[in-house]
Amino acid sequence: MLLVLSEDHKEHLSFLTKTDGSGKNSLRLLRVEVVEEFGRIALDFLRKGTNPKIYEGAARKLCVPVEMVQHGVEGLMFLMTESSKHMISEVDFMDSVLALGFGEELNQSLLQLYVQHKHQVRSILSQLLCNQPAYHNLEWRLDVQLASRSVRHQIVPMVTIRLLLTRSSDVGSTKSCMDLQTDPISLLHMISTLEAALAAVKTSHARRILRNIK
Amino acid sequence: RFRFCGDLDCPDWVLAEISTLAKISSVKMKLLCAQVLKDILGEGIDYDKVGKLTADAKFGTCPLKSGDIKATVAVLSFILSSAAKHDVDSESLSSELQQLGLPKEHATGLCKSYEDKHSALQDKLRDTSLRLRRLDSVSWRVDYTLSSSELREVNEPLVHLKLQTQGAEPGSSDTTVVSISPDKFRVLLTELKQAQAMMNALQ
Repeated sequence: MLLVLSEDHKEHLSFLTKTDGSGKNSLRLLRVEVVEEFGRIALDFLRKGTNPKIYEGAARKLCVPVEMVQHGVEGLMFLMTESSKHMISEVDFMDSVLALGFGEELNQSLLQLYVQHKHQVRSILSQLLCNQPAYHNLEWRLDVQLASRSVRHQIVPMVTIRLLLTRSSDVGSTKSCMDLQTDPISLLHMISTLEAALAAVKTSHARRILRNIK
Repeated sequence: RFRFCGDLDCPDWVLAEISTLAKISSVKMKLLCAQVLKDILGEGIDYDKVGKLTADAKFGTCPLKSGDIKATVAVLSFILSSAAKHDVDSESLSSELQQLGLPKEHATGLCKSYEDKHSALQDKLRDTSLRLRRLDSVSWRVDYTLSSSELREVNEPLVHLKLQTQGAEPGSSDTTVVSISPDKFRVLLTELKQAQAMMNALQ
C-alpha cells in the first residue's frame, strides 16, 4: 500500500532539500549527510524522547530557523513510524517517497534508513500499548499445617503461591504481586483446567482460524 | 528423564548450550563455574573475568558475541541450581551431563565445583524460598496508665508492641503497632509458648 503524505508533512520534509548556495556537488553531498544525520536523530528521538538542544545545535550549524529543523525531524519520525506501522514493502516506500520530489540519492538513503530500522521501530511502537498485567514469575511453597490454636494434631496440606506480574506502560514496567493459597485438590483442578485451555489451541476450529490468519 | 531436571525432559536450550560449552576448554569452564557459583550464592558475578575467560573461545569460525556469553552463564546457572534443587549427588550429575554430550573432563570439573558448594547452594536456595511477610523485629514498651478521661484512677499496666515485617515487594517493610492489656498479653504469651513447644518437638 502507498503512504499518502499530507501537504504539511511534505512541506516539513522539503526542508531536507533546501539549497544553501555553494557548488552543486558539495550540495548534494551535504543533503545526503544531512538526511542521514537527521535520520539518526529521528530514530534516537523515537527511542528515548526528544531533546530540544539538538534542534538548536543543528539549526545553528545549518543557519536555518529552529522550527524548520524541528519540523524536518518530526516529519522524518512520522514517515518512519507510519511506514513501519503498516509494514510497507520497499517498492511501496520508494513510490510514496517519490511523491516528495527528492532526488534519487535522498530516496535511497531514506529507504536504507527504513529497512535497517523497521523492526526496531515496530518493537518500540508495540511497547506503547497499555495492557493487562502479564505473567512474570511464580513462586510456590508446600506446607503442612500441624496444629492451630484451637485444634492440635492436624494434617492440612496447603500450597502457597506468589504470582509476580508486570505491566508495561509509558513510564516503564511496574511490578505487582499476588499472594494466593490453595489446597492440593483445588490446585489439581486448576492444573487440569489450564491444560484444557492449552489443548483448545490444538482443536480443528482453532487451527482453521490460525491458518487463515497466516 | 533426567534427575537434575526433576525427572522431566531436559529443556532444548540446555541441550543446545551444552554443545557450545564443550567448545570451551575444561580449565576455563571450571573457572566459569566458580564465577557462576559466586553469582548464585549472592556474591555477585565479575563480568570482566567472565569476558576474559570466554574471550579467546571461538564457536565455529566467529568469535563469541555477548549473547553467547550470557547463554553459557545461563546454562551453567541452570544446571547448578537445578541439581541443588533436586538434591542430585555429583556422580549422577556427572553421568547425566555426559549423556547429554558434555565431555568427561568438563563434567568432572563441573561436578567437583558442585560438590564443594553443594550445601552452601542448598542453604542459599532455602533462604530465598517463598516466605510471606517475614518478621524483621519486635520492639515493646510497658506503660503504666495512671488515669484517663473516663476514670480518675486507672493504675493498670499496658504493653505496646511494634512489629516490623517485610512487605509484599522485596525491600519494602511494614510496621504494625498494637497495644495490649495485661490479660490479653498473658493469653498471647501462653499460646505462643505452646506453639514454640510444638515447634521444638518437631526439630
